[in-house]
Amino acid sequence: MADASLPAEAVVPPRSAPDDVLRVEHIAKRFGPVTALRDVNLHLKKGEVLGLLGDNGAGKSTLIKIISGFQKQDSGKMFLHGQPYEPKSVDDARSKGIDTVYQDLALIDELSVYHNMFLRRERVHRPLPLLANKQMKREARAALDDVGINIPRIDVAVARLSGGQRQAIAVARTVNSDSDIILLDEPLAAMGAREGAAILDLVARLKEEGRVSIIMILHNYVHVLQACDRVSMIQDGAIALDKPTAETSVEELTDIVVDEYRRARIASHEEATAGNGAGADSVDR
Amino acid sequence: MAGGPASGEPATSGGAAPHARHAPHVTRGDVLSRVLSLREGSIIVVTLVTALYFSLKTSTFLTGGNFKTLLPYFAPIAILAAGEVFVMILGEIDLSIGAMYLFAPFLFYKLNSSAGIPLVPSVLLALLCCVAVGALNGVLTAIVGINSFVVTLGMLFAFEGLALIISHGEPVETPGAQVHATEEKVPHVVNGHHIVLVEKVNHISTFAKIFGAGTYSEFIWALVIIIVLQVCLTFTRWGLYTVAIGSNKLGAAEAGVRVKAITIRNFVLCATTAGLTGILEAVRAGSVQPDPAGANEILFFAIGAAVIGGTLLAGGSGTVVGALIGALFLGILEDGLVLQGVNANYKLFYLGLAIIIAASVGVYVSRARRGHNSG
Repeated sequence: MADASLPAEAVVPPRSAPDDVLRVEHIAKRFGPVTALRDVNLHLKKGEVLGLLGDNGAGKSTLIKIISGFQKQDSGKMFLHGQPYEPKSVDDARSKGIDTVYQDLALIDELSVYHNMFLRRERVHRPLPLLANKQMKREARAALDDVGINIPRIDVAVARLSGGQRQAIAVARTVNSDSDIILLDEPLAAMGAREGAAILDLVARLKEEGRVSIIMILHNYVHVLQACDRVSMIQDGAIALDKPTAETSVEELTDIVVDEYRRARIASHEEATAGNGAGADSVDR
Repeated sequence: MAGGPASGEPATSGGAAPHARHAPHVTRGDVLSRVLSLREGSIIVVTLVTALYFSLKTSTFLTGGNFKTLLPYFAPIAILAAGEVFVMILGEIDLSIGAMYLFAPFLFYKLNSSAGIPLVPSVLLALLCCVAVGALNGVLTAIVGINSFVVTLGMLFAFEGLALIISHGEPVETPGAQVHATEEKVPHVVNGHHIVLVEKVNHISTFAKIFGAGTYSEFIWALVIIIVLQVCLTFTRWGLYTVAIGSNKLGAAEAGVRVKAITIRNFVLCATTAGLTGILEAVRAGSVQPDPAGANEILFFAIGAAVIGGTLLAGGSGTVVGALIGALFLGILEDGLVLQGVNANYKLFYLGLAIIIAASVGVYVSRARRGHNSG
């Protein structure tokens, strides 16, 4: 509670642990007049599952897109295994072992399940540049079985599948990619309870294996406490909380959000009343 | 015969063998819906019906001689449409193919006649110029971010204008395509008597035979280009990424597909096939005509062939073989109407109807493919 009433400027400073695989320091990103990320510090230990919480528009997806190499930060630094990490592209990030399931899934409706599973990692009949479709079908089937989601046919276009099945394919694609850091942007959105449970089981299994580290954006606090080792909450473009899930509760997480709303309301009141004075143009803009 | 290429059509998914009975979603017209659920399905049916109609109505349609007449009607359009398909699948359009079709042969003429560069290098240089224009189209579309319709419309006018400027609006003889007549003694059999007559025999150069003037030259070019491009589209990463970009550009980019590079590459392909077609046609005809109106007509026939062949203007789906069949349909229509002695103006009317029908069937087909009916 005491933590929650900190002013918005007080953000979690950069922290690190000796076994960090990824560190993110002072990341900021603006889109024109909108500040998506103000000052984000984050670290991820080997084999850890980090839950990322935050309001809509808090900047979670932007952070994921920066780490995954899809967008570039305006300022701030990232370190991968202690080395400076500046991904030039999604491919570049992937070649360094970071792969992502985006919120919009990045699935291609017109392509088959297995072509989607292997997009950008297609198997070909070397030295010919022709696609090795049979091999991809076989491997895709094995990967999906591994995830534990039943997709009846993998040679149909993904447009034919349900939201949950699509999500499962996107997750399976990433898990299957031999990356050691996986970013999941709302992996449980659009999923039924059973499909969602299968994904959480998969995450638990990956955690047990300890090979990959995972950053997962979630909305459901119960899922966070159940599936993650640690939770970070983004508010207003910065990390407002960073705690092991064992030391927090649904109540504490809820209180932080409620408090944020209270502060935001007071702030907008103050701006409105101060608006007639010297700060008039800064309020308008 | 006319429907020949259609029967060699590879099925897109051969997996639905007789045991596919477990899937109960196909209830009526199993065979028909399977043919129609091919992207090329509707145009195969329409082309066969049209060919059948003309074979019954005229005595001359179904002859080898007529097939040769048919070739120049559809081979050039098939090549143009094949390149255009790659741009259309991206969800873009290239109107500048009309200008490349017109400009490339004039440039070829200038390089050969004025600059004295040998024939084949002149062709290659002219095509290189098309590559550059295609790359510019791609850069303006993918990197600068201008709508491709606008970019290529500008490029269409600019290069048709340039073709008029460098030709001074005068037709020229195509280099290397001149016909040499020699007098030869030709043996004949008349009423059982062997006689030898001195006749004029026309010869064309090997260059001309290869680049369009040989009877089957354009047809062979078209077949080779279509087979190669269809293989690229279906069985290579390039084709996969082309479909991916047209279907979901953001998703493709997020997955790591190099959207800009692929877009530029496809515009280059499209402009180059158009330039090649222009040169083939110029060599076949023996002269280059400064005729932007004719070039524009060819442009729209090519887009029409691609559309009725089953390629979506909205992108995400398309077929090169379909474009060939679409071009064949246009050829049969033109040729058949001529044989019937019908006013050729009907061709445009029927073509218009065909495009609308094919597009309507296409909507049904894509719904069936996506499974909205079987929900």
